[in-house]
Amino acid sequence: MPAELFTTLEGIWFLLSGFFLIGYALTDGFDLGSGILTIFTKKDENRRVLYNAVAPVWDGNEVWLIAGGGMLFAAFPIVYASAFSGFYFAILIVLWALIGRAVAFEYRNKKESSLWRKTWDWIYWIGNIVPAFLFGVAVGNAVIGVPIDQQGVYHGTFFTLLRPAPVLIGIVGVFMFLMHGAAYLLRKTEGEVFELAKKAAYIGFFGYVISLAITDFLLVITSPYLYSNYFKYPLFWIAPIMMIVGLILYFKFLSSEKFDKVIIGSSLVTIGTILTIAFATYPVLMRSTINPEYNLTIFNSASSHITLTVMLVATLTLMPIVIFYTIYVYRVFKGKVSTEGGYH
Amino acid sequence: MDLLTLSRLQFGMTAFYHFLFVPLTLGLAFMIAILKTIYLKNKNKKYDDLAMFLMKLFAINFAVGVATGLTMEFEFGTNWFQYSKFVGDIFGAPLAIEGLMAFFLESTFIGLFLFGKDRVSDKMHTFAAWMVALGSTLSALWILIANSWMQTPAGYKIVETPQGVKAVLADFFEAVINHSTVIRFLHCVDAGYIVGGFFVMGIMAYYLLKNKHVEIAKIGLKFALIFTAIVSLIQIVFGDFHGYQVANTQPLKMAMMEGKWETEKGASLTLLGIVDDEKQETKSLIEIPYLLSLLSYHDPNAEFKGIKDLVKEYQKIAQEAKEKISILEAKLKELEASGAPKEEIEKLKAELALAKAQARAYNITMEDLPSVALVFTTFHLMVYLGFFFAFVVLWGLWLLRKGKLYTNKAFLWTVLLSIPLPYIATELGWVSAEVGRQPWLVQGILLTKDGVSFHPTGNVLISFLVFTGIYTAIFFVFLYAMIKAVKKGPKETISLNSENQIKA
Ligand code: HDD
Ligand code: HEM
Ligand code: HEM
Repeated sequence: MPAELFTTLEGIWFLLSGFFLIGYALTDGFDLGSGILTIFTKKDENRRVLYNAVAPVWDGNEVWLIAGGGMLFAAFPIVYASAFSGFYFAILIVLWALIGRAVAFEYRNKKESSLWRKTWDWIYWIGNIVPAFLFGVAVGNAVIGVPIDQQGVYHGTFFTLLRPAPVLIGIVGVFMFLMHGAAYLLRKTEGEVFELAKKAAYIGFFGYVISLAITDFLLVITSPYLYSNYFKYPLFWIAPIMMIVGLILYFKFLSSEKFDKVIIGSSLVTIGTILTIAFATYPVLMRSTINPEYNLTIFNSASSHITLTVMLVATLTLMPIVIFYTIYVYRVFKGKVSTEGGYH
Repeated sequence: MDLLTLSRLQFGMTAFYHFLFVPLTLGLAFMIAILKTIYLKNKNKKYDDLAMFLMKLFAINFAVGVATGLTMEFEFGTNWFQYSKFVGDIFGAPLAIEGLMAFFLESTFIGLFLFGKDRVSDKMHTFAAWMVALGSTLSALWILIANSWMQTPAGYKIVETPQGVKAVLADFFEAVINHSTVIRFLHCVDAGYIVGGFFVMGIMAYYLLKNKHVEIAKIGLKFALIFTAIVSLIQIVFGDFHGYQVANTQPLKMAMMEGKWETEKGASLTLLGIVDDEKQETKSLIEIPYLLSLLSYHDPNAEFKGIKDLVKEYQKIAQEAKEKISILEAKLKELEASGAPKEEIEKLKAELALAKAQARAYNITMEDLPSVALVFTTFHLMVYLGFFFAFVVLWGLWLLRKGKLYTNKAFLWTVLLSIPLPYIATELGWVSAEVGRQPWLVQGILLTKDGVSFHPTGNVLISFLVFTGIYTAIFFVFLYAMIKAVKKGPKETISLNSENQIKA
């Protein structure tokens, strides 16, 4: 592995950014994944179980996104500015979807009317599937490159973002979240929802494998530079290997009906996938298709060393506390969710 | 409309909207935590019922607060590209720490509080309430640190990079505890407590007027009254300090708030007046001599600078900075040629970058100023409201002593109808603070027009319209759910746990 990854503040912040991305994908990932199932069951009780399964934790999970956004702003401000203004409508559509999701949780049950509920269920569904897809699209664009100039100003449109490769990566993302969400539901639910989750787990698995294979095939042809790091730094192979091990475990636990453990597989897949992409793009955070010299790398886009140090200290002191109480709260809510409002 | 106006409109609208929900979160969280603690001590179930009822209202409010806060976090990047690049080194840190320190805490424990009542002890449940209150207060702290830095920047230096001139951190603590952080935090959080206090008083008064839930309503009204009395009276003191701070750090803003176009010695305070932006004059209807100088500089004869003179002064700073640039550039060439030590060159470069930033940022004319009438009016209305709240709580305390608090219809109606007023006061305060900061985004170093993203104007128009649509829809759903929950009242909340589940 490149030594700068551990010996420079910029390198450490690259790893920490990956940490927040993984934290988000592991926690809010199962919210998004299980939310995708809402409209595939018609019964109101089943839908309620789907909401209930994540109700006490989704908000804390979403904070990984907020904190991650803040981290990007603090550590790599130019990337934050360039990506968010460049991907303008993609970001806003994610926001609008997430706003709908947040509000749906609280307001769905405020009125006894099936039209009211169905409307909220659709808003909720959009609030889960759209971010799940667009996150992948955004990551895909950053790694294969977008038209940014020397100042980091974006010169494309919304449709520039919807090229085949990023869209494919978006689809991979949806299946990844679906796998993870289904694995979570296998632990949290019983009865019909459990059966639905089982089906979703298989669909997610095969969908992921197939879409990933197609994406890989396309990227080898269109963006071969994404593979060069793996020849330069053999240790980077840990990431794809982790992903493959995760896939094997996922399928094994699923087919041998060890349902509680399936989530181990999907967690490894999630971590492995994100790291694979991160290692492929290192040290570039946002590639320029206008001129490789305009690439935003961790070195030319990072904040000053004072800021990076302050943020490092803050993260290292606060994150353990956060993880400690988060685990505590998850343990308070462990066990299966029932159809009847309460958790038993 | 041009890009800048639209971007400002969108940011102002979304921030304004977020701040409709934030104050109640701050106030209610704190009140609920106190009620839960009282319940732990006296074991009177009514206190728990009241806390749980308020929690239900809190949840309805919190959902929208979170949803709208999400927009804020990303909007600096989406709509203020140049700004984010310019200040990211400094401004990003508080935002990130806010997430780590506050939002995780608040959001995790709110799950525990809302859904975990049957699963944890009363003590743990009360602890969770305190953590929610702490989380929301810390979030206010860090976001206000960020905002205060924009108002009164400190602890930074200006550097020039290949991607442009930008501000970088020089001293973290100086930047965090800049001149206005502490007082802005106190004033702002206290505003949230006033909103919460009036909200609870109003609802309890409503029950008393309707003769419903009388027992809980009496407990709640008395509690909320005492709470609100403390925070409303303190607010006048905080407000005075805040004004003093503004006068000394942002004199132009202060002059706009007071509608002073010309410099005056021993300036008078205009209590009631009309500002005319066109003619650049203020008609004072009621004024108190010397008071403005006294409040602003703690000296009745002090000179209070007017808007016109201040703008001229800033022009002069810009001119001087401009002249400095060529001198510094020549000096830099000389030094580099003579092979001077690196530190000296760096120092000179920083000076040069600062001069460049100042030459641009201070180059303002009267045309660049916002509407003084708007700043003046919003500020004055906030202050009037502050005194009105003080009057209401004193009236309530007097009734409490007389034993007539629960029966005096005039008072009950007054507090019920006053529920929106603290909201209005906080929004007015923000408008005067943010509009009064114009033409700068970061006081004295970055003009607002130099902060915006490069977008086709149509894009921002579309996003502005979509935001407006979504927010308007959510607002009505929010009002509907809130009113319905209040009408239903606290009785049903005794078995709150099943109530608050996402259920049929
Ligand atoms: C319930 C709300 C409320 C009430 C009763 C008051 N304020 Fe206020 N005020 C706010 C809510 C607020 C606020 C919304 O929270 C602001 C906006 C920015 C800030 O820091 O706080 C604010 C800003 C603000 C500012 C401008 C700060 C700046 O530009 O940065 C001053 C000088 C005052 N206030 C002074 C007062 C005085 C003298 C009051 C007399 C009673 C008063 N406020 C009552
Ligand atoms: C930490 C918090 C805040 C930050 C960093 C911040 C920053 C900004 C920025 C970047 C703008 C756009 C440029 C401008 O026109 O000034 C702005 C404008 C504005 N903000 Fe804030 N703001 C904050 C809090 C708030 C809050 C809570 C409110 C309202 C309740 C608010 C109300 C406004 C308004 C009304 C404008 C439009 C002013 C104008 O265009 O003249 N701000 N603020
Ligand atoms: C303009 C800059 C602002 C940004 C970027 C911002 C960001 C956010 C975000 C991302 C959330 C959602 C947190 C969650 O999911 O739990 C949020 C909520 C919150 N924000 Fe803001 N905020 C801004 C202004 C303010 C101001 C000025 C205050 C306080 C004085 C404030 C106080 C809060 C509080 C208390 C919450 C908790 C949720 C609620 O509102 O009910 N925010 N904010």
